[in-house]
Amino acid sequence: MTDTRLILLVEDNEVNRNMLIRRLERAGHAVTTAADGDIALNVMREEHPAVVLMDMNLPVKDGWTACREAKADPAISDIPIIALTAHAMEEDKARALAAGCVDFATKPVDFPALLTVIAAALNAHG
Amino acid sequence: MSTDIDQPVAWAHRILASAEPFLAATARPTVSIEPPTDADVLALKEGLIRVSELLHTPSSDLNHDLLNVIGAIRGYAEMLQEDAALLHPALRQALPALLSSAGSTQTAPSNLVADSAAVAHRNEAGVILAVDDMPENRELISRLLSRAGHTVISAESGEEALELLETRGVDVVLLDLMMPGIGGAEVLRIMKEHEGLRATPVIMISGRQDMDQIITCIQAGADDYLLKPFNPVLLQARISAGIERKRWHDREEDYRHQLERNERFIRRTFGRYLSDDIVEQLLEAPEGLELGGDLREVTIMMSDICGFTSLAEHLPPTQVVSLLNRYFEAMTAIIFAHQGTIDEFLGDAILAVFGAPRRLDNDPERAVRCALAMREAMDAVNAANAAAGLPALSQRIALNTGTVIAGNIGSEQRAKYGCVGHAMNVTSRIEGQTADDEILIAEATRQLLPEGIFRLGEPRAIIAKGIEDSILTYPVLGLH
Repeated sequence: MTDTRLILLVEDNEVNRNMLIRRLERAGHAVTTAADGDIALNVMREEHPAVVLMDMNLPVKDGWTACREAKADPAISDIPIIALTAHAMEEDKARALAAGCVDFATKPVDFPALLTVIAAALNAHG
Repeated sequence: MSTDIDQPVAWAHRILASAEPFLAATARPTVSIEPPTDADVLALKEGLIRVSELLHTPSSDLNHDLLNVIGAIRGYAEMLQEDAALLHPALRQALPALLSSAGSTQTAPSNLVADSAAVAHRNEAGVILAVDDMPENRELISRLLSRAGHTVISAESGEEALELLETRGVDVVLLDLMMPGIGGAEVLRIMKEHEGLRATPVIMISGRQDMDQIITCIQAGADDYLLKPFNPVLLQARISAGIERKRWHDREEDYRHQLERNERFIRRTFGRYLSDDIVEQLLEAPEGLELGGDLREVTIMMSDICGFTSLAEHLPPTQVVSLLNRYFEAMTAIIFAHQGTIDEFLGDAILAVFGAPRRLDNDPERAVRCALAMREAMDAVNAANAAAGLPALSQRIALNTGTVIAGNIGSEQRAKYGCVGHAMNVTSRIEGQTADDEILIAEATRQLLPEGIFRLGEPRAIIAKGIEDSILTYPVLGLH
């Protein structure tokens, strides 16, 4: 059975956001969205999603800051965050892990790989 | 690949060049793609258009924007490869070029991870639950329907059927009327009372002698009936009709779900700047979210905290933030209560407009009332500050009325509701010459105020840099 627990997708780019919503839902996931880091934190507190996919390059409050703030808030620090970054650079990967992300994927995303990463995050925090 | 990511512009050009066969294939009248996949074709085309727009008029963050759209193109192309390529030879030939230029490794249709729902939808095959206490009937149904490509699961009692319905996604239920234990009529009643099962079509099965009970079941919500012994053709036809009904329902659900998600998204994104009723208005007319703006007359409010910069220098950063938050929280509530739209918070300044996105007859009057309420609220803000050991604040507010362009300004990816125009600059000049605790309104605003409501002070002419004529202003003293 597909895991239907809620995924929060944080992405400011509308075209890419719509594509990812469609693909995640098509794969059987339930998806909620936010367009910046500030809203993402609010949604995490209100809806407590099972996992967060967070673009790191966001307006208002970037993903790095939002991630650190989420990890500092005991109410939501348990929610696993998967970072979406534009470059497959080692330093970005290290930076994402340092900010408290459980994993990361580079954009444009390799979707089957992303599904695996999501499943792993959901299982680890099930 | 790494060179592609370093060179998004070159990458984008290659994608556009490789998209020709796809565009030609989807333009053919013989290639008709069913929902929901047709929306993916459309989205993919829009992605291609967006790429060529970005190449023609580069955005400020071109590489980032291009990579995002390229990612979307790849995603939609992969979904089409999974859902539609097998059905349409033209697509099967056209997609690999596009997929490979978009950096996808998924270029062969055999490589698919299509979900069962998509496959089932293609053949209009479904999951059928056959409920009958007679094993030979279950076997017959299973054989007839499996041959047509359906997935058949069966239950030998009403109890078992209800259990299966809880855990499995079922498209149509074939339900025997006469069974020991929970009978067909009872299973039907329980299903119709269950929110998640209510929409699943039910076809009753019975002998000819039970016609009056069949009628009762149809009245209770059964969709159709079949008499034993089955006519195989009739069975197939009723099942197809049931599946069709279920698909319609699922699509409607999806659509409703999408609408709800969009609504939540708009609320979250715009709720910070707009009061609730204006968000409602945006939701009612989503075309209002399109980029571009319209010319309209608005009353503009600018306020700031007097001497905030030097105050901030003498306080630790955490205190500055709590001081500002307390102030903004109080002022935001007052502005929303007066149906104003907050355009921006800039440091210690608030920029708000009255009359956009929605124009009301009394925009200038509401703006002045709002300014008075904001001034009055400073006492409470300062009492709270004093209790927290923080210094007292005083604010100044300037109002002006004029024509501006109001709308979603920015790029498609990062738009925000706002106003631009000369009247905005004039307001800022007036604000620069407003005294502590003063509310200063421009002549343009004063002219639009109803008589006898506000007490105004002596007019004052302001000469501002970059503005030719002097601006006539009036301090607002209070209400009559």
